[in-house]
Amino acid sequence: MGEVTQVKTVCGYCGTGCGLVLDIEDNQIVKIRGDKTAPVNKGQTCVKGGFAYKYVHAPSRLKTPLIRKAGKLVQATWDEAYEFIAKGLSSIKNEFGPEAISMFACARTTNESNYVTQKFMRTAIGSNNIDGCNRT
Amino acid sequence: MGSNTTEAHPIIGNKIKKAAKSGLKVIVVDPRKIDIVKSAHRHLQIEVGSDIALMNAMMHVIIKEGLYNNQFILQHTTEFEKLKKQVERYTPEYSAEITGLSVEDIIDTAREYAKAEKSMIAYTLGITEHHCGVNNVFDIANLALLTGQIGREGTGIMPLRGQNNVQGAGDMGCLPNQLTGAVSITDDAYRSRFETAWGMEVNASIGDTQTRTFERIENGDLKALYIIGENPLLADVHMNHTRELLQKLDLLIVQDIFLTETAEYADVVLPAKSWGEVDGTYTNTDRRIQRVRKAVEAAPDTKEDWEILCELSTRLGYPMHYETSEDIWNEVRELAWELYGGISYERLESEYSVHYPCPDEQHPGTRILHVGFHDLVEGQKVSTFVPVDYTEPIERPDSEYPFTLTTGRRLESYNTHSQTRHYADGVKIRQKEETVDIHPEDAAKLGIIDGDLVEVSSRRGELQVKAKITEQVVPGLVFMSFHWSEVPTNVLTINEFDPISGTAEFKACAVQIKPVTV
Repeated sequence: MGEVTQVKTVCGYCGTGCGLVLDIEDNQIVKIRGDKTAPVNKGQTCVKGGFAYKYVHAPSRLKTPLIRKAGKLVQATWDEAYEFIAKGLSSIKNEFGPEAISMFACARTTNESNYVTQKFMRTAIGSNNIDGCNRT
Repeated sequence: MGSNTTEAHPIIGNKIKKAAKSGLKVIVVDPRKIDIVKSAHRHLQIEVGSDIALMNAMMHVIIKEGLYNNQFILQHTTEFEKLKKQVERYTPEYSAEITGLSVEDIIDTAREYAKAEKSMIAYTLGITEHHCGVNNVFDIANLALLTGQIGREGTGIMPLRGQNNVQGAGDMGCLPNQLTGAVSITDDAYRSRFETAWGMEVNASIGDTQTRTFERIENGDLKALYIIGENPLLADVHMNHTRELLQKLDLLIVQDIFLTETAEYADVVLPAKSWGEVDGTYTNTDRRIQRVRKAVEAAPDTKEDWEILCELSTRLGYPMHYETSEDIWNEVRELAWELYGGISYERLESEYSVHYPCPDEQHPGTRILHVGFHDLVEGQKVSTFVPVDYTEPIERPDSEYPFTLTTGRRLESYNTHSQTRHYADGVKIRQKEETVDIHPEDAAKLGIIDGDLVEVSSRRGELQVKAKITEQVVPGLVFMSFHWSEVPTNVLTINEFDPISGTAEFKACAVQIKPVTV
C-alpha cells in the first residue's frame, strides 16, 4: 500500500463545476469527496461526481493508436498514426479544399485543448468547419 | 423549464430544493412529473413542445393586466408593439387548449413571474432540443425583457449547461461562426488580432454546423471528419442514418478515451488522456473559470488532446508547440483579454474561481452579467424583442404511431455512458439498464406489466426494451434516455432540426409500442 495524497480538481461531468478532492494511492483515484472550500458545491457531490470515476483506470481504455487495415482496426505507433492522418488530410485538402474537412470538438476537454483545437482547424486546415454539442 | 434538475444537475437541484424550503416559489414547467416537482409550488405539466404557447399567453396576461415594466421597456428594448401584436391571440383560453394546462394556472404563473421582486428562469435541453429551440429561447428572453427580470441578482435567464466544459468549448471558438472570446469570425478587426498572433490569414467565412456537416457528407462534399471526445453515432438523432453517413466518409479520425460506438467506424483512432490525467481549466455553467488538475499519471502511450493537435499541425506545415497548458491559457488571455485577461493560473490558485469577463488582474470578475440593463447612463444597453409563434412538434402521434416519445438523462448515467459504466465498488445503482417509461393506463391497454419486454418502433427504426410503469409520464407520453448502446434510443428519434441552431428535435417523435411475446 502506498501513501495517500490529495489533489483538488473540478468535476468532469455536468456543467455545475463542483470542486472535488481526490484521494490518490499508487497512481489510482481511490476516493472522491466534495471540496468544502469549493464556492459552487461547498462539499457536496452527486452520485456521478463522487463515485463514477473508475473509468479513468478501466482496462478497456484506449492505450495505443489504431489504424484500419484490411477492414480492421489494428494497433499502430503514434508515428504511423500521425503520418496516416497528415497524409489523408493533406490529400483531401489538396484535392477538394479545406471545406471538405470538418471537426467536432469536445465539450468535456479543457479550455486549453479547445483553444488549440480551433486554432488547428483555422490554421493548419484553414477552415471554420468546427462545431460541437456546445450549440445545444 | 425543461430541466430535470435533480437528475441532470443534482447539486443545482439540491440548491433549489433547499431554497424552496426557505420560501422560494418554484414553478416547474415539464411534461413529466420529475423529482423536482416535489419541491414545486406549482407544476405546469405541459404537452411536449408547447412552451411558446405557454409563454406567449403569460405575456398576453402580463400586457393585458399592465404588469410589465414600462420604464425598462422604454429604456432598454425595441419592438414592444410588435410583441404586443404577436401575443394578442394567445389568450389563456387559447393556450390552455394547446398546452393542456388550466387557464388559472397560466394566469397565476404570469402574475407571479411579473410581480415578484426577483424572478429567474432556468432551463435545459427541454427548451433547446426542439425544431423551435431557438424560438423557445427567444421567448424566454421576451418574458425577461417584458418584466425587467434581468441584470439584477436573483433574476435573469439561466441555461443549465450539461457538460463540464460545454460553455468553455464554445467560448474558446469551437464554433463555426466565432473566435476565441465569443466574437464573430466575420468581425474584421477582431479577426486581424488572431491573424497577427497566428502569422497567417484566417478564413472569414462561417463554417459548417454539425447538422450541415451531416448534410454535406450525404451529398458527398465533405470527405474527412475529425471527432474529439464525442460519440455522435449513439448521441445524435436517427442512428441508422448517422451510421450510413459515417461509413460514407473517406477519412474518419476519432480521438477518445474509449473505443466508442463512433470510434468503431473510424479509419484511425487516437488514445487521449482523460480527466484526472491533465491540467487546465473548465468554464462552468455560470461563467466561472476553475482549475482542473492532473491527479494520476496516464498510460504511457496516451497523449493529451492539445499535444496531439500540435504534432499534427506541425506535420501539416503549421508548426505549433506549447510546453504547458498554462502557456496555452496565457495565449488565450492575451488574445481574448476582454474576457480572460485578468484570470491567471496563479489567481485561480488563490481565488478558486473567477467569473469572466475579467479584463485585468485588478478586476474582480463579473458575477452578474447584463447589469448594463440597469445603468441609467447614455449608450445604455438595448435589446430587441423577438416575437415568436407556437409551432407544434414535427411528428405528432397518429393511429399508426400513437405515442409521443421524449428523451433525456437519468441520474446515474452520463450521456453515452462510456464513463459511467465504471462506478466505484459498492455503489448501489438503481437504473441498471434502459427502460421505456410508460403510464399505468397505457400499460394496462397494452396488457403489459412492469419489466415486460416491449418493441418500440418509429418511422426510422425499432428496438426492444423493458417497460417501466410510472406515473412520472402522462398517458400517451413515453420516456427513454440515450445512455445505453444496448438499447440505442436514437434509432427512434427524428432528424428534424432547428433551422438556426441546427439542434435536433430529441424531445418529440411518434412511436408505436407492442408487447413482445416470448
